[in-house]
Amino acid sequence: MSNYYNMPKLPTESSPKVEIFVDDKAVMVPGDTNLLEALKAVGIETPHVCYHPYLPVSGNCRQCLVEQEGPRGRMLVIACYTPVAPGMKIYTPASSARVKNARKATQEFMLVNHPLDCPICDKAGECTLQENYMECGQNEGRLRPEYGKNYHGNPAHQFVDSKGQVRGGKHVDIGPRILLDEERCVQCDRCVRFMRSVAGDEQLQLAGRADHTYITTFPGEKLDHEYDLCVTDVCPTGAMTAKYFRFQKRVWLLSHTPTISMDDSLGANIWIDHADGKIYRVMPRCNPEVNRSWLSNTSRMAFQNFNKNRLPAIGGISVMKDAIASASGKIALVAGGECTIEDLAALRMLKETLGDRAEIFAGTLKVKSEPDGIAKSGDPMANRAGFKLLGLPDDNLYDLAQHVSDYSVVVCVNNDIIGEGNKSMDAIEKIPTRIVLSAFNDETASKATLAFGIKHWSEVQGTMVNSLNILQKLNAAPTAPDAELKPAYEVLSELAGKPFTCAYDAFKKAAEYAPALAGLAYDTIKSTGLHLEGGNA
Amino acid sequence: MAECVKVCTENFGKGAQDIEVYKKLGGYENISERLFNMSQFELIDYVQRTNLRGRGGAGFPTGMKWSFVPRGTGKPVYIVVNADEGEGGTFKDHFLMLEDPHRLIEGLIIAAWALGSRAAYIYCRGEFLPCIESLNKALNQAYAAGYLGENICGTKFSFDIFVHRGAGAYICGEETALINSLEGQKGQPRLKPPFPAVSGAWKSPTCVNNVETIMALPWIFKHDPSEYAKMGTPRAGGTKVFCISGDVKNPGVYEAPLGTPMMTMINEYAGGVVGGKLKAVLPGGSSCAPLTAEEAAVATMDYECLASMKTMFGSGAIIVINDTHNMVDLLNVLGNFYSHESCGQCTPCREGTGLLHRMLNQIVAGNGHDGDVELMQSLAGGFGGVTICPLSISLGGPVGAYSAKFRADFDEYIAKNPDHAKPRVQETARPGIFW
Repeated sequence: MSNYYNMPKLPTESSPKVEIFVDDKAVMVPGDTNLLEALKAVGIETPHVCYHPYLPVSGNCRQCLVEQEGPRGRMLVIACYTPVAPGMKIYTPASSARVKNARKATQEFMLVNHPLDCPICDKAGECTLQENYMECGQNEGRLRPEYGKNYHGNPAHQFVDSKGQVRGGKHVDIGPRILLDEERCVQCDRCVRFMRSVAGDEQLQLAGRADHTYITTFPGEKLDHEYDLCVTDVCPTGAMTAKYFRFQKRVWLLSHTPTISMDDSLGANIWIDHADGKIYRVMPRCNPEVNRSWLSNTSRMAFQNFNKNRLPAIGGISVMKDAIASASGKIALVAGGECTIEDLAALRMLKETLGDRAEIFAGTLKVKSEPDGIAKSGDPMANRAGFKLLGLPDDNLYDLAQHVSDYSVVVCVNNDIIGEGNKSMDAIEKIPTRIVLSAFNDETASKATLAFGIKHWSEVQGTMVNSLNILQKLNAAPTAPDAELKPAYEVLSELAGKPFTCAYDAFKKAAEYAPALAGLAYDTIKSTGLHLEGGNA
Repeated sequence: MAECVKVCTENFGKGAQDIEVYKKLGGYENISERLFNMSQFELIDYVQRTNLRGRGGAGFPTGMKWSFVPRGTGKPVYIVVNADEGEGGTFKDHFLMLEDPHRLIEGLIIAAWALGSRAAYIYCRGEFLPCIESLNKALNQAYAAGYLGENICGTKFSFDIFVHRGAGAYICGEETALINSLEGQKGQPRLKPPFPAVSGAWKSPTCVNNVETIMALPWIFKHDPSEYAKMGTPRAGGTKVFCISGDVKNPGVYEAPLGTPMMTMINEYAGGVVGGKLKAVLPGGSSCAPLTAEEAAVATMDYECLASMKTMFGSGAIIVINDTHNMVDLLNVLGNFYSHESCGQCTPCREGTGLLHRMLNQIVAGNGHDGDVELMQSLAGGFGGVTICPLSISLGGPVGAYSAKFRADFDEYIAKNPDHAKPRVQETARPGIFW
């Protein structure tokens, strides 16, 4: 238990390479990590349950056994807790029957008291136990019903089923967002370690011992934390399930779009899991430098509103164009933090087309908070670094509020300035022509003279720069409610009279404004992003 | 019965719980100029020359263990006395602490000087209430007499001893689980390395020793190391306190030199087997493999001989079993014990001990089938050397050994099931609904 301070050391690109012998073959592996990560680096996957790269090592599942040549002969060791040492000799199932049998035995024990209710389990299809079974089990069941099972569970939740078998709690309400199935739990204690060492709020604990161990909260307490849904991700089985996703979709029917969460300037990497044009869930996408494997509940649950209260693409771009052209006074172009680099390139192009009459304003009125050190920087303006990169202001909304009388047209892109509850922004309503490009029919849109629906950030391709100055790539999930909707950069470039045909056109335009982007293509930006030179964030 | 030197038990029955009596019997004579003029290095070397091996069960050389404790780390060095005596058939520490608590204190002062330690913890099994009372009374007397606390006996050396009462978990006898429990965490063994000698209690160097090991120190220090070493075997010196229980005339605690033949222990010390003929002996507590009567006839009670017989010396708890017992019943009791005492950390032990116990229950209940024993042996084989601590082997080992040496007992039980030759019910394959 007190091994909780043993965080695994992960290999990096600068890790020194050392030679070890795997199955008597010499291989070069990263030298400053554990054996499990080192073997992974050379393409040998080791099945494991309790090990997680971003959680302290617990070493309790005993699934990642390998053989190591030592002074007392070959010993079985756990790969997750064995540091790589130059010249060490390792034997995997490829050459060692003992390792193969040991893993198979552990796999068998793992399933002794597991209910095997895969057909009704939400985790089926992405369950670690299933993967390990295919990898190292595949044995014919040797255990017979008479031996009985001793299901894990809190005595208060246990019940006797129709066959006389004592069962554990099947749907224990341990928190506002999570249901616990005590039987399915394999006591890997990942969730306990997550809450202890990542969330920093130890709300979960393993109670009891031996095969009556069960996961529980403190008496009378609930599992309730901004990051509590991450325990459903780290749970290798279907023990912890998110209430919102229970029985919604079999996971193998979901398509996954890798993109970036645009509600925070850290730009947490996410998967949008969708089917038939509907988003079913948002999952964290591992990025060691940004959000590791974590995602806040706010970012995760935001998708539930992506398709609600959407603004239709009605009105026509020509009407907007006319309104801008006939403006007598100055034109304010207001951009919000959800604008991608491409949108900003189009916006700056529009400003240059309009000349001195136009002025760009940007910023957010949402409250900024401190970074939580997990997956949020606390800055609600997601692409703030992108604004700076393109030489645009990123915090001058109050200038606009103070000088509304100078302006006769305001074009507001992805920025719900009125709806954010700041009274000083109500002055915007004094501007006679208010054009709003927004995904949602929010308050600003409802008070507009011309409101035009655009695509939401989850539906567009593009790029953003996060608070760590990493250029990250958004991909379009095919979940837009209306085929007529266009991305903001298309609309803005049409207003400027030089329409972009695709996002990459806009990106190339952005490279003209920002030399740091020159020579880059979408293909050259890795899925984990690209560090931009010369920090300006 | 050859009269032997009593190292740990010489004050038994003499009322040595009282400090005055203990001092009259020669106690606390070691806490003198001679000790405080010795350097740590000299003292550790002194203990190494006695060939004293840890009496808790693993038999690790004590002097070597002490030499592993790093010096000058800037962290305090803790001594933890493992008095969490939970192994089935072992009850020596209970009597040692009850009868002679001052000897433990005196031994701890010597150990503290050797390790440069400022504080020691006696982790006492929670059920040993009389022991804890006796220890606390002795500690109070020792503090009052100036043997503990600030500036012991007018020297600059200060040393404190605390008694910690455990909550009765068997696994807390494992040193890292004990340290976890001492720190206030759940008693579960830690991953090693780091070993406790380097990073133990509160991440400080910690030396965990058995009660009996510490209690041998006053005698050792009073005499010459070679005098202790010459009792016993070449690789393990001294005497050992044996706990003899089971089907013998006089079960109890007996001190004898290492290397004493097992039959001498049973027949001369304990008065012989009663109730039937000798069937089996567990030489080192409940978790070791049993010896048959023929093996017991040639066995001697020392580390090497018993290791060569594929069992272990353990804590020196000799459990004698006569031929009226069926070994399956015994194994079922062990299964009950170990499946209850598994800490629940490692998968094979957590799930496997319970499974083996349920299978043994089936056999004992008369529902055994042919092939059950082979399945149990195969499952127990999956335990070997794959868990953090050796608790899983404490059941896995006996399952293998009992079924190999006393197969007839298993067959006898299985034959009670009239349908034992039929295969167990196999759940019919489900139709391909999903695949």
